[in-house]
Amino acid sequence: MERLLAIWVEALCEEAPDGSTLRDYAALLDALTVLCPFTEPIRLGLFTLPLRGPSRFFGGERAVLDAVGQSVRDVTGHEPSLGVADGLFCAEVAARQNLVLTPGATDSFRRSLPLSVLGRKDVATTCQRLGLHTVGSFADLEPARVAERFNKHALVLHRVARGELAELDTQRDLKLIRRLRQLRGEDAAGDEQMGFFGQRGAGDDRADAAAHRVRRRLGADAVLLASLRGGRVPEDRATLVPWGSPSLAGRDVAPWPGQLRAPSPATTLAHPVSVQLRDGADHQIVMGARGFLSEPPGALLFSNQTRRDVVWHAGPWPLVERWWSLNRRRAHLQVLLATGEALLLVAEASRWWLVGIYD
Amino acid sequence: MFAFSSTRPTLPNDLVATLRPVTLAKSRTLPLGEPWSSLVPGAGLRRGSTVVVQAPPGLGGLSLALSLLTESSARGHWAAVVGVDDPGVVAIADLGIDLRRVLFVPRPRGAWAESAADLLDGVDLLIVRPPSRASHGAARRLMDRVRERGTVLIVLAESHAPWPLPADLSFDITQAQWATSSRLDARYLTVRVAGRGEAARAGEHVVVLPNRRGRAEAG
Repeated sequence: MERLLAIWVEALCEEAPDGSTLRDYAALLDALTVLCPFTEPIRLGLFTLPLRGPSRFFGGERAVLDAVGQSVRDVTGHEPSLGVADGLFCAEVAARQNLVLTPGATDSFRRSLPLSVLGRKDVATTCQRLGLHTVGSFADLEPARVAERFNKHALVLHRVARGELAELDTQRDLKLIRRLRQLRGEDAAGDEQMGFFGQRGAGDDRADAAAHRVRRRLGADAVLLASLRGGRVPEDRATLVPWGSPSLAGRDVAPWPGQLRAPSPATTLAHPVSVQLRDGADHQIVMGARGFLSEPPGALLFSNQTRRDVVWHAGPWPLVERWWSLNRRRAHLQVLLATGEALLLVAEASRWWLVGIYD
Repeated sequence: MFAFSSTRPTLPNDLVATLRPVTLAKSRTLPLGEPWSSLVPGAGLRRGSTVVVQAPPGLGGLSLALSLLTESSARGHWAAVVGVDDPGVVAIADLGIDLRRVLFVPRPRGAWAESAADLLDGVDLLIVRPPSRASHGAARRLMDRVRERGTVLIVLAESHAPWPLPADLSFDITQAQWATSSRLDARYLTVRVAGRGEAARAGEHVVVLPNRRGRAEAG
């Protein structure tokens, strides 16, 4: 489970009638996003951010806590309670008690909690009558026994208590992100294709009507709109969203060093196809840790045993991304087949995938 | 006013039937960007016409069809792409197409002709890649509808499954050659442009598509 910093601001958890709570919440979210771009709005009054990346950046967890605390005080004028633990559930409980758990202490902390923190009265009372007072003693029950007695939601509770799940399904406010988008005017209602001076033309209305007709025929996600976002390689930069869903706010404006430059493949496979790259002696080609190919490629084998000769290749260009969390290592390779087709391949998890065709 | 006066002379019925609003030839064509504007007769795509782009698989047919959209898209016309399963969004944006005005229907699941017909009323240019060989009847109905609506239909056909009817304008890729350095640089396409009427003179041209910036240019 990921080590999280939970930020609990008591003053922002109750919604004020004038809507100021949501505005303050959004302002605070912006401020925290500056400190860490992976800050997540969970519920009114509650944010989390992964601690590992920022603590390296700021030079220690204490520095992150100080920076976040100072930021909350500056923006809202309230004192936050900060908690650090593994997983959203424990992080929230820790934040309410203003506790910073050392790595590895989360398990014993969770087991020592009273059952009421799980938020289900019936489970808590029944277990107390059975003499189980802590989350730990509840966790020691067999899952089958819990399933016999309660419904499937209690099983989720039980998995959280055992530390198999990071969060309760009631913890996140699912409407919050939508409300924040509405507040910032990014939502579908205001999200129309604007004409030159911000007005809608007759052509836009006709296109709308046509898209609706196709949707009625083929289903809600049949008509897509494309947009670009930041990224290094074509398959990361492209986004296709169903027509009518809120558009993505991000525009591809930031510089991305190491971007794979134009020309880009005119067909970018949404689901890469597994292929095999062979050398002249028909051995599999592997990519070493330093980003070199074991042999120059001689042939490409598709899963249906189609074999194509490779006449030229460029790359591989290794790409190590998000080494602090996902640790995704890929390398891209352009190959030119004897038939004249140019393909973009990627090596990932010691296999080769076809991701693009320069059609 | 004269227009509302009861003494206005009535026009004979046969004359009324022949009257049409005046349209200029220019408003009946959609503009083409470089290099096509100098290679295609009339320097544009006539509304209501059908264009067929034919190429062996993987040799630039899709890029060529998309490059026909660039200038119209920049001027605010809507376009739709039907039957192209996994469009390369970055390449499309690099060509200079405004992504906000392109509708993608990637997998029409056997209803490609119906979806295309649905879209004809809403867009000015329509790229269709039939998933299988198009039947004569479906093609005829679609082309009639296109002529009536004043849309431009761009059909992307492969050599083994050609479009069953003659097109007003056709682009045939006969050869594709990549120029390479330490990466793929540019592709030289030999394209045969042919058509009917004033576009009857067939000519072979070499165009660079895509070039180092992902755009189309004259070879």
